[in-house]
Amino acid sequence: MKLEIKNVSKRYGRKKYGVKDFSLTIEKGILGLLGPNGAGKSTLMKMIATVNKPSEGIILLNKNNIVKDVNYIRQQMGFLPQDFGVYPNLNAFEFLEYMAAVKGVGGVGLKQRIEKLLDGLNLLDVASKPIGKYSGGMKQRIGIAQTLLNDPRIIIFDEPTVGLDPEERVRFRNLISDLATQSIVILSSHIVSDVDIIADEVAIMKKGSLITKGKTQNIIEQVKGKIFETQFDTDVSPRFSDHIKILSTTRYQGKTTVRYVSEVPIEKSTPQKPTLEDAYLYLTHN
Amino acid sequence: MRLFLNIIKLDYLTRVRSYSFLITLCASLAISYTFVPEPNASYSTIRIGDHVGYYNSAWFGYVTATMTSIFLSLIGFYLINTSIKKDIKTKVGQIIASTRIYNTTYLLSKVFSNFLILTTIVSITFLMSIILFTLYNDGFRFELFQFIKPYLIITIPSMFFLSAIAVIFEVILGRYSVIQNILFFIMFSFSLAVSPQSEMRYALDVFGSKIVLDTMEQSVREVLPLEEDSEMTIGYVLGNTTKAKKFSFEGIDFPSYFLVSRLTWMFIGILLVGLVSPFFHRFNMRDILPSEKTVKQILPKAELKDINLTQLPKLQKSTNILPLVRTEVFLLLRKGNKWLWGLNAIGMILLAVLNIEFAHKFVLPILWFLQVNRLSDLTTKEVENDVHYFSFTSLRPISRLLLSQLFAGLLLVLFLALPLTLRYIFLMKFNVVMFIIVGGVFVLFLAAFLGIFTKQKKLFEALFFFITYVNLNQIPFFDYFGGVSQNIDHIFYVFTVIVMMAIAGFYKRYYDLRR
Ligand SMILES: Nc1ncnc2c1ncn2[C@@H]1O[C@H](COP(=O)(O)OP(=O)(O)OP(=O)(O)O)[C@@H](O)[C@H]1O
Ligand SMILES: [Mg+2]
Repeated sequence: MKLEIKNVSKRYGRKKYGVKDFSLTIEKGILGLLGPNGAGKSTLMKMIATVNKPSEGIILLNKNNIVKDVNYIRQQMGFLPQDFGVYPNLNAFEFLEYMAAVKGVGGVGLKQRIEKLLDGLNLLDVASKPIGKYSGGMKQRIGIAQTLLNDPRIIIFDEPTVGLDPEERVRFRNLISDLATQSIVILSSHIVSDVDIIADEVAIMKKGSLITKGKTQNIIEQVKGKIFETQFDTDVSPRFSDHIKILSTTRYQGKTTVRYVSEVPIEKSTPQKPTLEDAYLYLTHN
Repeated sequence: MRLFLNIIKLDYLTRVRSYSFLITLCASLAISYTFVPEPNASYSTIRIGDHVGYYNSAWFGYVTATMTSIFLSLIGFYLINTSIKKDIKTKVGQIIASTRIYNTTYLLSKVFSNFLILTTIVSITFLMSIILFTLYNDGFRFELFQFIKPYLIITIPSMFFLSAIAVIFEVILGRYSVIQNILFFIMFSFSLAVSPQSEMRYALDVFGSKIVLDTMEQSVREVLPLEEDSEMTIGYVLGNTTKAKKFSFEGIDFPSYFLVSRLTWMFIGILLVGLVSPFFHRFNMRDILPSEKTVKQILPKAELKDINLTQLPKLQKSTNILPLVRTEVFLLLRKGNKWLWGLNAIGMILLAVLNIEFAHKFVLPILWFLQVNRLSDLTTKEVENDVHYFSFTSLRPISRLLLSQLFAGLLLVLFLALPLTLRYIFLMKFNVVMFIIVGGVFVLFLAAFLGIFTKQKKLFEALFFFITYVNLNQIPFFDYFGGVSQNIDHIFYVFTVIVMMAIAGFYKRYYDLRR
């Protein structure tokens, strides 16, 4: 399994790009896609999922150009869009049966497969109620179930954990690691910690372009030895010089703690163990 | 006040900027082109007995203003009767509900933005009337005032009243769009047909058309006293223009009580909106799905069950479209209120027992029209429900998905017509049977075609309403189901239209999908 994105751009207006000259190669495993709002994550994923066509560039899956031959990827893909909807008058069973037909799969095992998926996603008890009455998280899980109908080899999750409670998040993580043993999984998120735990590799994008891509460790490496924290009283407001990038400030009991990135620490600072979040904030705030 | 104007402005702009509004404008342009027939055309619109007016400014102004007043009331209702619903769907309503804005202010802002929408369309027909005047110029002088006056006095007030009525209907009958449709239809036909023989009869006429027609009739009588056949017609009448004689119509000096009545209608509209505003739900809806009782769901937290993907039953490739058709049928059947099926059942019984001609001419088109909300989103519901990510990336979206939608719709339409079809089969009238089937296909393809092109359901709803109205009035031009004439040429004509819509629709969908 190999997905190659080559110099892909998506233009929305004359000068407005959703994604700009983007190149990336993905092999088996989980790729976490991080980036601030409007970075172009959804745009990129929609192009991979053949919902949208790139304005420029090509996307290859196992050397097949999927921009031209959309059916090649559609047959083996699962896609969870960020803002998908459902027909509110159908129940979960009917909706999944419909989705199976839409994807062009079926057969004697279908009923059982749907049942198992619903069971695994904790939806079996409500499966005969119309989806219009589901809560946000339940609807999201229907969306997840839908991606798994056809034994996908490439799975694209756009913000899959939105609306899931902590328990469901854990289950979802387990599910994804299971999937990744045989497929490509691409998932986007704003929640760095979600990606941190499960992704084999992380790609960070900003304003339509790729900033960096690599193993989580290697990305954290970029800010290693540069993360510090310092504390002062809340009522004094110190000035920081320009070479310091503030990552976060927290106030607690009259003290303000500032976490920052810098080559050299300022006075009274303690070095900190860098996290992916530090690296993410550092790289996207530049 | 600033806020009020701002809401109106934003509301108006968002509605005007849509692609579907552009299509609506084009359609209005095309329709207004027909308001004053071209000199050699084989139909007439306004006609007093054997007479039509000289093609002077007054004739163009008054005829188009009156036609606009009536026909835009009929169709326009459908274009504007979901302004509140849209706020529900976009969830803007919930934000509005949390602000301090008064119900009355919000509703009035809707009235005014409706009114602006209609006025935009009116200005198109207004421009068209001037264009037509220059186009068919018979050497008469161009008098701008003869154009402005009827539009200002006849058309604009009825548009305003309609804008208010649409909002009132939405407040009172928000959930029952079918009742809205039926009730409006009844009110519309009633106010056109009834004219009390009193002093006030012109004042009581919302559309302001009676005073125009009567004045025209008087002008005719002045030239030719004792005209026996002075039947006035308004609408589209085919094939009787050859012997039309001309008379001179110079506009109307409206009596002042009539002017007051026009203002009063507008005022009544505002007053009614004020009266219903306490009943406005203010986006505090109990339940979005009307058809089912709310069931409280308490999820028992089960122990963590993980999915073992490798143990799931394997599926095969399957291009069977029956599951798709079945789902589409479910979606069609479950749409709207359950009691509508009661109405459908009554309709089918009537088709079976009433005089066959009456059943065919009147019951069938009404029964089909009752399905308007089911059919109108046949090809737009994916986008409307944000399911398009799935369906448009599906395996062969046209030959499987679109086809199954059409097939499901056809099943519904033909099922409803079944009692009548069976009766005709027993009578061995196979050409009529064919016409009914072709008619069903026509309705369906019209819905699909307009949905694909406008990406909205409004235009189909408006047009279907218009066509049904015209058919109930026995005007053969839009007879798609053989209610008026059943000759075989006519079937071919309908069939050709179907084929054209099918080709254009499939092609457009294909084109959209490639992008
Ligand atoms: N249909 C569209 N038309 C015009 N511009 C668009 C469209 N869709 C996205 N954009 C623009 O493209 C850019 C990238 O949007 P995109 O939705 O891909 O971001 P994202 O990374 O998914 O953001 P988020 O984290 O908020 O989901 C944004 O600037 C957005 O305004
Ligand atoms: Mg996004």
